[in-house]
Amino acid sequence: MSAGKIAVDMLVSALRSSTPMAFALCGEILGERAGIVNIGIEGEMLVGAATAFAVTVVTGSPWLGLLAGAGAGLVLSCVHGVLCLFCRTNQIASGVAVLAIGAGCSAYYGTPYVGRQINGFSPISIPGLPAALAEVLRSISPTMVIGLVVPPVLAVFLFMTRTGLRWRAVGEAPASARILGINPNTFRWGAILACGFLAGFGGGALSVDYAKGWSEGMTAGRGLVAMGLVVMTRWNPAWTTPVAMIFGAAESLSLSIQSHGVGVSPYLLSLFPYLAPLVILALHAKFSRRQGHMPASLADILKFSA
Amino acid sequence: MKAAPYARRVWPLAAGAASFIAITALLFGHSTPSLAGFFAMLVKGAFGDGYAFSETLVKATPTLWCALAVAVPAQLGLISIGAEGQMYAGAIGGGGLVLLLPHQSSWVLLPLMLACGAAGGAAWASVAGSLKARFGINETVVSMLQNFIAINLLEYLIHGPWMAPNSGNWPQTAEFPSAAVLPPIVSGLRTHVGLFGAVAAAGVLWFIAGKTRWGLSVKVLMSNPKVAGQAGLNHAAYIVGAMAIGGGLAGLGGIMEASAVQNRLESGFLQGYGISGYLVSWLAGHDFRWIVPMSLVMGAILTTADTLQLSAGLPASSAMILQGVLFACILGWTSYARSRR
Repeated sequence: MSAGKIAVDMLVSALRSSTPMAFALCGEILGERAGIVNIGIEGEMLVGAATAFAVTVVTGSPWLGLLAGAGAGLVLSCVHGVLCLFCRTNQIASGVAVLAIGAGCSAYYGTPYVGRQINGFSPISIPGLPAALAEVLRSISPTMVIGLVVPPVLAVFLFMTRTGLRWRAVGEAPASARILGINPNTFRWGAILACGFLAGFGGGALSVDYAKGWSEGMTAGRGLVAMGLVVMTRWNPAWTTPVAMIFGAAESLSLSIQSHGVGVSPYLLSLFPYLAPLVILALHAKFSRRQGHMPASLADILKFSA
Repeated sequence: MKAAPYARRVWPLAAGAASFIAITALLFGHSTPSLAGFFAMLVKGAFGDGYAFSETLVKATPTLWCALAVAVPAQLGLISIGAEGQMYAGAIGGGGLVLLLPHQSSWVLLPLMLACGAAGGAAWASVAGSLKARFGINETVVSMLQNFIAINLLEYLIHGPWMAPNSGNWPQTAEFPSAAVLPPIVSGLRTHVGLFGAVAAAGVLWFIAGKTRWGLSVKVLMSNPKVAGQAGLNHAAYIVGAMAIGGGLAGLGGIMEASAVQNRLESGFLQGYGISGYLVSWLAGHDFRWIVPMSLVMGAILTTADTLQLSAGLPASSAMILQGVLFACILGWTSYARSRR
């Protein structure tokens, strides 16, 4: 095996690990750009994963499953919307309520599907490609492609369209936006629903495509890691893929070390995907301007002024 | 016309409770023939007899410790969701000591075990505190990520170096010697003296927060950091300190649960208490007096979920749904009432 092939393999497997989280990361960026912090994305991912898997088992179509998962995330995010925007609850507290409901409901209604088998997506094949390229293409799944396309599209939306400008204005200065005739709550509802949709889709990508199975609590903190890593993207979706790869690379590395039978406990190795983001977050904070580019209205919620 | 002050506080709670009951009936009512029977079963499951009430108290104890671990940092405006990880860290610290010195008398072992438990939890929580104080990294996210790290660390220990030799590869440590077991309050029931410890801790914290210099400093830091800085208060030290005290309390809860209820460390034995404690602290408005009765309510809900599992055949995850729905209902109605005032 050539060094180039190993590098490509590692890159692809890191990308595969990071894809479900990339969707959640995009969702959280969209939300925070409009001034909405959503710690409930973990719960929305779980509900998305369970629903997507169940629908795939029943219908046999992974595409329908993904769509259903995204829809489930969207439905759950309505709880966050009602609590934050209608009741004016603290966003972190509301997020934890969503997290608990999502974790509970996914475990409760997902029980019958534990251990069921699905085929997932059929590999992409384009006739007439050279063998090496076709080999790489076979290891790439549709959700990975979508995960690569969505972030730049969202970046264009946020930074190059009128709606995107308003979206960001709501997150930076809701009072000024209101004076200009923009209703912040309209955009914040949009942000919450979009975040739920993307988180649910990411959960679906996890259960239907990445793991091809469902188990209780299977997202294992991906949504929370995404919430932490938003700082690293500087709230710009264009940075989603490289930032999500921090988690993806750590996870695929610890999995490949395990599969090579190195004598390190798998439980120690599974610490790595959580330690790596923490260490990188600390380094990033040490060497960069504090909370650069953070939407200004988040400061009240996250109380960054330490 | 304005309603009386107490009515303004009470009606959102009543509305929240009513919504909670309605949603619960909608979700789980179908598992029994009649709704009244369903709710009677819930109440009986939590308070029906001495054993049920004891189980409620058993579940309320770690919840109370966790709620205190959330409420202490909350006095400074910090949102910690890391109580579960801190409990595991405490259980690892105290459990490690017990496994190291199994043959000491209980006069030596119990205090040392509790001290190590508190130290483990405090050290664990001060990581999040330091990252917040030094770099301004959001403590909520760090403390939640630390939960996953602590859980996996415990898994490593009980699958590896600390696995009991005679357990037949079952992931758990050796049983604690009887000198390292906290005594029950009533012999034969599982309620242990840790409950008194937790209630006493809540009282002491209420006193510190309300009647001492430290409590006043925290209030100044919370309401006006600039004035606090001019008065010479070190914000960073208070952040690390509040997180560490909270972590120490959670650590105590963790090692007490391991010692008195499980008699060993095993996989996921504290699962869910972190989030229950968080909900309790929020529902009590981070007020140390209200946290105690709220923990009892939460203990009842957790016991009830066990009843549901046994008698109505509902999965264990119904506890999580019940908690989430209760939290959303009360949170929603109380915030709504506040925003319309």
